[in-house]
Amino acid sequence: MTGTSDTRPPNILVCVKFVPDPNQLQADASGHPDLARAPFRISTFDENAIEAALQLSTRHGGHIFGVSVTSGQVPPRDVLLRTLAMGVEVLYLIKDEARLAADPYRVAAVLAAAARAIQSAENIPSWDLVIAGEASADQFNAQIGPRVAMALDLPAIAYATKLELQHGRLIANRATDERSETLEVDLPALVTVGTEINQARMPTVLQVMGAARKPIREIVIEELPGIDLDALERRPSLRTIDISAPPSARKRIVIEGQDAAEMASHLLSRLGTDGEVKF
Amino acid sequence: MNIQEILIFSENPDTLVELLTAGRTLFGPAGGRVTAVTIGPTTTEVARDCLVRGADQALVIQTGAASLPAENGLVLGLLEAIRATDPDTILIGATRTGTDVVAQLAQALEVPCASNCMKLRRDEDGNLEIERRVYGGRFTATQVLMGRPQIASIPPNRFPKADLVQEAHGSIKEVVVELPPPRIRVKATLPRVRSAVDVTKAEVIVAAGRGVKKVEDLSLLDTLASALGGVLAGTRPLTGDVDWLPIDRRVGLSGQTVKPNLYIACGISGQIEHIVGMKGARTVVAINNDPKAPIHAEADYSIIGDLYEIVPAFLDAYERTKRT
Ligand SMILES: Cc1cc2nc3c(=O)[nH]c(=O)nc-3n(C[C@H](O)[C@H](O)[C@H](O)COP(=O)(O)OP(=O)(O)OC[C@H]3O[C@@H](n4cnc5c(N)ncnc54)[C@H](O)[C@@H]3O)c2cc1C
Ligand SMILES: Nc1ncnc2c1ncn2[C@@H]1O[C@H](COP(=O)(O)O)[C@@H](O)[C@H]1O
Repeated sequence: MTGTSDTRPPNILVCVKFVPDPNQLQADASGHPDLARAPFRISTFDENAIEAALQLSTRHGGHIFGVSVTSGQVPPRDVLLRTLAMGVEVLYLIKDEARLAADPYRVAAVLAAAARAIQSAENIPSWDLVIAGEASADQFNAQIGPRVAMALDLPAIAYATKLELQHGRLIANRATDERSETLEVDLPALVTVGTEINQARMPTVLQVMGAARKPIREIVIEELPGIDLDALERRPSLRTIDISAPPSARKRIVIEGQDAAEMASHLLSRLGTDGEVKF
Repeated sequence: MNIQEILIFSENPDTLVELLTAGRTLFGPAGGRVTAVTIGPTTTEVARDCLVRGADQALVIQTGAASLPAENGLVLGLLEAIRATDPDTILIGATRTGTDVVAQLAQALEVPCASNCMKLRRDEDGNLEIERRVYGGRFTATQVLMGRPQIASIPPNRFPKADLVQEAHGSIKEVVVELPPPRIRVKATLPRVRSAVDVTKAEVIVAAGRGVKKVEDLSLLDTLASALGGVLAGTRPLTGDVDWLPIDRRVGLSGQTVKPNLYIACGISGQIEHIVGMKGARTVVAINNDPKAPIHAEADYSIIGDLYEIVPAFLDAYERTKRT
């Protein structure tokens, strides 16, 4: 892709998490998540992050790298390839089989070390933009993006809804609870995004086929340069004691009827009997 | 166990006095002290409000800036407050600003943080034990924070505001912090529309999803809500992708947790991230024309049909019954 703009072609790093699909995750007999049976997917907002990178890269050229810390099981190859089919050029997998990156502090420290290691391995003078999801679909910490920014000493814009590069600067819209803002920051910077920023496109058949030729580079966490795992281990932790599903007991009654009017009046009489609608 | 030193912060004054309640519930047998932190130009009033609601101390961080400092400035302000009080526990309001700030703060301190905690207590060792939603909210994780300080963020509206006390005993301490020039410059800012009503307190909620085709059509559901003495709410696409409803009317994982007597979901598919926000409803009605939509499994009463036909028919039946 060629850059036809006033901006230097950006080097973009996208943080991608692979998660068990929450909408397909069931509880096992003991009420715990049956992780082995839920398919992996790209964490929802990370698809928006890849799409955002692709849109900038289509305009300004440059390169898109992906980085993922996979704790425990590595997702199946077709799920990994999807990031490449969507637009990531090189995917770096930081394999953490022993689950050392067990809480947000550790994940962010590892990602920051990985960002530096990839930069030096790929001869990138500097990252221009790091993009993460607003929150992961499994853990919903909403922490990793701003944490990585702190670890890499980058300014962070969370909840961005629009991105534009101009003369080495990023112009971003973002929405807090109170305000919609237009912000400007010199690159490099980090942003986090949600579904509001774009509609992530489905990769075409051609892109899916092309993905198989793009590189996936694996680094085992123990060999990641620039991180002292022993020191990391000594920091305070967030320990998970239990994960369980609160039981849900709905009546699940399907209201029948010949037409809308009949169904509506059946519903009304049910709600009246239950005392939920008063007349 | 020593007495607990708890630091609370939210840039939102209402959330701050909710955190005061949350902090109190954590005191061990030896008791504790809650210090409320305010940052920014006009926060002495907020600090005073914390004291009359029983805070043991209020720390007013003066930055010299004319408005609320950017996230980075809030992080620096909080680091100063932490130096001044050496807290065991830090509670931050999980607004969007607070969520961003707490993550940066915890990374600067090289400690974990538990986000969006729904419940908090002390375990036998005095560590902070929390419950939070994971996997889209389908599951609840119980986690323990170790080390010091132990940091948690808590969503707005989770705890009641602390009551006024008979006699305030705390005092205000001012700390001046020099902030470096902000790296992020604000070019334009617009206030977001806020609701006049609080959906978390509504007894009846009519909720709209993407089955609603045009913004004008929301008036149909609004009519239903008004007829039943309720409030209109919506899914994330209607409160973010498009601004058809204010963000404070969003029900779900990244929005409000509601517990009305009656929740009528219209044109909502029922993805787990939405369901988790309305699970506490006493009775759930789903109107959706797709028999396979997951919302039907989360409802007491389902109508498989077009909301554009069912809702007017229901209103009709309701008005007729009321007259007789
Ligand atoms: C980390 C994370 C956090 C999230 N937080 C939230 C949150 O807080 N709140 C939230 O809502 N979502 C949240 N989401 C998004 C969530 O996953 C869903 O995408 C969203 O809830 C879908 O909204 P919807 O049901 O309105 O739209 P859709 O999924 O598009 O569903 C529309 C439904 O309308 C039905 N329909 C269409 N036409 C009609 C008609 N004429 N009559 C009746 N029915 C009709 C369709 O059958 C369909 O089932 C979050 C997602 C993630 C990943
Ligand atoms: N293990 C991981 N590998 C790569 N990126 C991650 C990882 N965990 C979190 N992220 C990124 O951080 C975002 C927010 O995650 P979280 O803070 O866990 O909610 C995700 O959407 C990803 O972009």
